[in-house]
Amino acid sequence: MTELQAEQGTPALDVSRVEAKPRRNRDALIALAVFVVLALLPMVFSSKLLLDFVIRCAAYGLFATSLNLLVGYTGLTSFGHGMFFGLGAYGFGLMMQKTGVPIPVAFVATLAITFGVALVIGAICVRLKEIYFAFVTLAFQMLIHSTILSWVSLTGGDQGLRGGIPRPSFWGIDLSNHLHLYVMSCALLVIGLLLMCQIAQSPFGYTLRMIRDNATRASFIGIDVWRAKLTIFVLAALFASTGGIIMALFVSGAYPEFAYWTMSGEGIFINMLGGVTTFLGPMVGTVLFLVLNDTVTRLTDYHGLVLGIVILFFAIGLRKGLMDFVIEWYAQRRNGRGERD
Amino acid sequence: MTRTRKPGVSRRATLAMMGAGAVTFATPWVGRAQAKTIKIGMPTILSGRVAQLGTSSRNAVMLEIAKVNAAGGLAGRTIEMVIRDSKGQPQEAARVARELVNTDGCEILIDAEASSGAFAVHEVARDLGVLCIHTNSETSALTADPKQHIPNAFRTARQGVHDSIVGGSYAAAIAKAKGLKKWATCSPDYAYGRDTTAEYVTYLKRFAPDVEIISESWPKLFQPDYTEVVTKILQAKPQALYSCLWGGDLTSYIDQANIYALFSQMEVFAVNMADYTALTVVKNLPKGIHSGNRYIKTYPATPENAAWGDAYKAKYNEYPTNWSWENATAIMLLAEASKKANSADGKKVAEALRGLKIKSPFGADGTVTMRAEDQTLVGYAIGWGTTIPQEPYVPQVQAGDWKTIFELEAEWKKSKGYA
Repeated sequence: MTELQAEQGTPALDVSRVEAKPRRNRDALIALAVFVVLALLPMVFSSKLLLDFVIRCAAYGLFATSLNLLVGYTGLTSFGHGMFFGLGAYGFGLMMQKTGVPIPVAFVATLAITFGVALVIGAICVRLKEIYFAFVTLAFQMLIHSTILSWVSLTGGDQGLRGGIPRPSFWGIDLSNHLHLYVMSCALLVIGLLLMCQIAQSPFGYTLRMIRDNATRASFIGIDVWRAKLTIFVLAALFASTGGIIMALFVSGAYPEFAYWTMSGEGIFINMLGGVTTFLGPMVGTVLFLVLNDTVTRLTDYHGLVLGIVILFFAIGLRKGLMDFVIEWYAQRRNGRGERD
Repeated sequence: MTRTRKPGVSRRATLAMMGAGAVTFATPWVGRAQAKTIKIGMPTILSGRVAQLGTSSRNAVMLEIAKVNAAGGLAGRTIEMVIRDSKGQPQEAARVARELVNTDGCEILIDAEASSGAFAVHEVARDLGVLCIHTNSETSALTADPKQHIPNAFRTARQGVHDSIVGGSYAAAIAKAKGLKKWATCSPDYAYGRDTTAEYVTYLKRFAPDVEIISESWPKLFQPDYTEVVTKILQAKPQALYSCLWGGDLTSYIDQANIYALFSQMEVFAVNMADYTALTVVKNLPKGIHSGNRYIKTYPATPENAAWGDAYKAKYNEYPTNWSWENATAIMLLAEASKKANSADGKKVAEALRGLKIKSPFGADGTVTMRAEDQTLVGYAIGWGTTIPQEPYVPQVQAGDWKTIFELEAEWKKSKGYA
């Protein structure tokens, strides 16, 4: 970097720092507003279906959005992200069943376990690129899945964790009450999304985009690419694990399917539906995916066929996710109006 | 005289509105209490590799529902089935079960899920308190483990431990008579395969202590090629082979083992052979394979059972499966229990179900019983026989003895810490 460039760079950095704070406040306010709206929903609509739907949205939404941190922001197409979803569900479920610690302790401990596992797996995987990365993550996923299946004395094998997950109440929150579980899931979703949004908007987030676009260039300007990739791999794993915990609470158990490759596949599918170029794309994809899944399975046994056609439509017809399409269309309209004016 | 109308709402209108309001609010409850139909929800697997589980369960249920409805339904209420696919995913099974109860208004659940899905639906039943009958899960722990026990969940499927006791004692008698000491096992590599094989071997050794297992094979579930498994067994030269492969896996295995003439070199005990899903699909069914009965219309050899099998075949153009009789039994029990309770209310029906004994085409002595202590089905037809290549496939079935089953089951429960 020449001195001239360095001089030019400094004011630009200052500007972004000044802008960052109001933006962060604005995001926090939006998040708070969304949480309040979600928390008030049960008072307006008494439908239990809606509560179940939002809880599942929280689990899948955190999972899919965290996957997008890897796929969309860093260019790491992980085919094994489901392992952390499963790890969260099993870690939390086992902790509650075997040790009887309070829920917040189990929650933090589960994240700590996920952190450790993701650090080891990530350290090996993120050295690789593209298809090699995809396949090694898939291999680790199958390793974890097989471990769950064969460690019957601990995990219950393919029957899953049986007997329900005990939920002692804490701080006046009783998660065996469905309404409390709903509000808790909403809170976790909103906080999770807010944190991930901050990560994506931070200088670190921009470093990730740079690595995605040109990793060699990034390393030439002094970025430790391996460390940045590992950091985001571990962070994404933590959010996926939180999604798994919500799912474990919802079904009151944990099943090997959570850590199977089909779970990762659904994550990729959701990202394709919603689009990977916007932060909220995967969240839109999640809602779309769950609505599609729930209505189509209600109407026909041939849901595979319908979902297949939908994904073909997005892949070949739109060639992008729904949010990407909407944003582009909106931008075009605005430009068009600007030209007319 | 002129009438003056005061402005505002008249007393008559107020009364009418109040009345209308009361009716509006009360109607759903009155309507619900006296609804002519009762909805029964059924999450099951209707797609993927084990879709036959769902379709043959559904067929049997619909066959029986038609009869119950023709006879007036459940305590005068016509049954409407709501059947949905869970794709074999436990989280979907849980979601579908919740949706069926919370949104579709189902008052009873028939849980026709396999293995882990059944445990997921069990948790939903625990949470919502709805009457739930498990019809396909044979995992013993579902009802044997007191931790799983909830008053509103029942099981009308056979149970792994019952099969192992009967299979073990039958095999031991033959092992003693023919001097079969060296045994091999070949079972699918998942909980059902591992558990069932371990239990079977335990009881085999208990009745015939000098038996030894010289070779174990654990092919993957849905494995297409069994060549290495077959050659491994042939090289070990056992005198007898036990397998709990089922469905398509079993038929592929037999077709491939036939090429190596495996069945002429050892006695084969395949617990899941005597089910039409396997019997009618194998290309050359070898003579003399020992099998437990799953469902065949010739055992129990009663006119009622034959008639039921034929009625099913006439309606659906295929033979019923093991899952079919288990699901049919659930509906038969529900119908009897609601008659006894004179109500279709879940709690009252559950009360009536406990200890209920009904006439059944699938009973060992023409009856089956919903055992009160662990709310699982006992007294169903259970036995072993040998195959022939054409109908009736398993001409003579040696019945298992329920007295022995009860004794050994109690012992097994103690050893597991369940009792």
